[in-house]
Amino acid sequence: MRLDRRLTAFIFTGAFLVIGCEENLPAPVVPTTPPPTASAPGTPAPLPPAGPDTLGPKPTLAPPKAFDPPAPQVFTAANGMTVWLLERRALPLVAVTLAIPIGSAADPKETQGLAWITASMLDEGAGTRSAVQISTAIDDLGGSLATGATADGSFANLSVLKKSFSSAFKIFSDVVARPKLNAKEWKRVSDLWKNDLKKRASDADDVARVVAPAALFGSDTPYGHPADGRTATAEKINLDTVKAFYASAWRPDQATLVVAGDITKDEVLKAISDGALKAWKAPTTPKLTPVVPPPPPAGSLRLVLVDRPADAAQSVIAVVREGVAANDPKAPLLDLVNTALGGSFTSRLNQNLREEHGWTYGAGSRFAETRGTGSFTARASVVTEATGPALEQMLLELNKMASSGLSEDEVSKVLAQDRADLVQSYEGVGGIVGRLAKLSMLGLPPEFDAAASRARQQATRARLGELASAVDPKATTILIVGPRAAVLPQLAAIKLPGGLKLPAPELWDAEGYLIPAK
Amino acid sequence: MRLASNARRAGALMLASAALAVTIPAATAPTKAAPAAKKAAAPPPKVDIPFTKEILSNGLTVIFHEDHALPLVTVDLLVKVGSRHEEARRTGFAHLFEHLMFMGTARVPTKMFDAWMETEGGWNNASTGEDRTEYYDVGPARALPLLLWLEADRFASLGKEMNADKLKAQRDVVRNERRQTSENKPYGKVELRLPELLYPEGHPYHHPVIGSHEDLEAATVPDVKAFFEHFYVPNNVSLVVAGDFEPQLARASIQALFGSLPRATVPPAPVGVQPKLSGVVRETIVDNVELPKTIIAYHSPAHFAPGDAEMDLAGVILEHGKASRLYKALVYDRTLAQEVTATQYSQDLGSYFGIEAIAQPGVKLEDLEAAIDAEVAKLVDKPVSAEELQRAKNQYETSFVSRLQSVSARAALLNRYEAGKGDPGFAEKDLQRYRDVTSASLQAVMKSVLDPAARVVLRVVPKPKDAAPASGKGGAP
Repeated sequence: MRLDRRLTAFIFTGAFLVIGCEENLPAPVVPTTPPPTASAPGTPAPLPPAGPDTLGPKPTLAPPKAFDPPAPQVFTAANGMTVWLLERRALPLVAVTLAIPIGSAADPKETQGLAWITASMLDEGAGTRSAVQISTAIDDLGGSLATGATADGSFANLSVLKKSFSSAFKIFSDVVARPKLNAKEWKRVSDLWKNDLKKRASDADDVARVVAPAALFGSDTPYGHPADGRTATAEKINLDTVKAFYASAWRPDQATLVVAGDITKDEVLKAISDGALKAWKAPTTPKLTPVVPPPPPAGSLRLVLVDRPADAAQSVIAVVREGVAANDPKAPLLDLVNTALGGSFTSRLNQNLREEHGWTYGAGSRFAETRGTGSFTARASVVTEATGPALEQMLLELNKMASSGLSEDEVSKVLAQDRADLVQSYEGVGGIVGRLAKLSMLGLPPEFDAAASRARQQATRARLGELASAVDPKATTILIVGPRAAVLPQLAAIKLPGGLKLPAPELWDAEGYLIPAK
Repeated sequence: MRLASNARRAGALMLASAALAVTIPAATAPTKAAPAAKKAAAPPPKVDIPFTKEILSNGLTVIFHEDHALPLVTVDLLVKVGSRHEEARRTGFAHLFEHLMFMGTARVPTKMFDAWMETEGGWNNASTGEDRTEYYDVGPARALPLLLWLEADRFASLGKEMNADKLKAQRDVVRNERRQTSENKPYGKVELRLPELLYPEGHPYHHPVIGSHEDLEAATVPDVKAFFEHFYVPNNVSLVVAGDFEPQLARASIQALFGSLPRATVPPAPVGVQPKLSGVVRETIVDNVELPKTIIAYHSPAHFAPGDAEMDLAGVILEHGKASRLYKALVYDRTLAQEVTATQYSQDLGSYFGIEAIAQPGVKLEDLEAAIDAEVAKLVDKPVSAEELQRAKNQYETSFVSRLQSVSARAALLNRYEAGKGDPGFAEKDLQRYRDVTSASLQAVMKSVLDPAARVVLRVVPKPKDAAPASGKGGAP
């Protein structure tokens, strides 16, 4: 067993995997500092003399250097598919993602989870291979193959050593263009899926993930239902539904093939023409087009409670509200506001709830990056006895940020983090294709992240202060996933900022539906 | 400062843009038409992470790995202390101490370690296991002087400047870490209980790394100071700097910052020989879960010991991919398991091999366990085919190479090889352990490890539901 100091899953992921192709970053906004003096002499130092402090003062650092992100090539394959390629030769690895801008937001209301389970079926038999043969062939090559769907897109992904790329890409091409969608495999895959959906209800974090968007957008709306569907709607999906969705969503005329690694444009084009993607044609049947869901309905402060067993050691607390669309010019700047509020270890939420009060292992926040207007969520798992006080502090921090914005020090910190994140996003080919695929699903250009980082580097404290009202908690939805009997008296006792009063709780179930009053 | 090894420096120039060499020959994957024989002929790939290693006069091991591909740098420190070094009634202390290492000193007041690092675009994390504790910082290349200074500060002063407020703050955080990662997670109580069933009382691995609430509460400031003085001494630590930096400058800086830390005698580690279970240890946990689960655990060879690589590959053969033994039998062909894993948990004093499976609705755990046992027996009774073994090796090797894309992963690997084998350059030899596995050696290890009469069988079953849970329109049937 290994224990990490900090949580990484939800808390500290923002739009950090960034990539792009523009020229120099603007001149650094960090104050100019003298060159390092304390710790970099040219020759090995003798043992330090006995003195007041052998370590010397905190070192000052050289000023930041501009970083030129490498530029992806963009071209069109013979079948009409767009290709984004970023060559990276550090290791003999290639990663590929085929991205489709149709995801769970396009699920019909009655068949929620359709995009997700359709993607899951693609590698369950394709071309001449059965499900087991695909898995075996990829494993023989030491590769890994995955398919999936998120709110705004569907994808198939392959990672493999360069020497095995052409063999593995043939299998990948079959998975995308010639899935069998076979009845026997469907039975197994859909049964396992339904069991997983039942299992989801016993994990407090999963329940919060399902209920928060449902409460904000509406349970059966495009962004309000979980991408992996619900127990009730899974029952209504059969193999014909899946086949129809595949034909209308998975088509070369709206696919982008993203490639990163030790490979050239010619090798990519040859791989495409050597396999099933060459003959992959858009059918004449109607296609689904990318969905731009409406923003969440405006409303007043709400309290949503999902009951948990009385002995639950922690409650999940979340504050959810309308966020921003990924293509909104404000989005990159709001990322900076979020970094200071809940996007890094020293952010206000984590410092308050974890370091000062010890109520949690980690607290954080994020703006979802979505094609339509997304959500803003602040979240933490807190010891049950401190559910009320922790919520009080979370709301206080949101209110403070909304009304006063960032300090000068915070602005300089989040700009430094933005510059560092841009560099770090180029370390692994898997991360690069994942990020570029997300941009293509959102309808954003491959150079988006470099441009966004440039916009962030021009941000002023005044501008960020104006934008910080985007985290104002006055009309938010508060979600508590915790034992009702222990939690309710605590909520009654807390004081809210700005004279707000908590409304009576709405009771919701783990599937993301309001429980009708008896 | 003594130069212990710079033989590999020659490689660094050649690899200026790709500071890691993996040379892999042409296709070795089997096809249906030409299975086993063709694969054996192909020469194996070579993995080389260039490094230098030096040992300061106070015993601090310093390892450098240059990679100028991106303007990034990592500092990775490994301390040879883990939960197995803890004293009685102080379970969880090594991990709690790791949290305390961030609580500041006179030079770096509380909260400033993280604040100053993030202000320059850096970040950090740390982890504690049974055998060791690791700290790492990642940042822009220009931040290296600060990263080294911050590390030197806490390795010099942390213990002396500990106080009750700092201790209480992290004790509460750690207790919430226990709640979040184990107590409030479906099946999370397994990792609290399994070590207690596998190892007898008094064995260094008997307790979980996270420790008990009671022992965490009992920890005192003098405990912290003593632990620091005993284990956080330069001769018990190795430091890796990796990425885009100038070794000459870094070497001088490290000498100046860490060179005067005093060497000290590290207390002998508690003795722990690999125990032998004399029967089947059974226990059932009742918990808030939807589906029942079974965990079957066997004692297995220690990390790097003969048989350890066989166990890793057995894990791949049993549960990776749809054709793997357990997945095929329990999930694909029959509808017994919802999910299944098989993992070698490698540890210094002796490892364990765990098979975990969640039952599908309506399946009895006895039936699930019988099906697992039948597959395990096949692995013991009959050698795996050459094709199956090669597939497992290919999967292992690709995942090994993929991990090396990140500079901080390479830094951590160099440090773990230094701690485990006294050789940061063990990567190629490590992979060779896997290449050397044969069907016969695998079967021999399976026979000695997967003994049905000496293992732990731990079950998790759902709490009986006294009333139907409240449900809205979409609720589960």
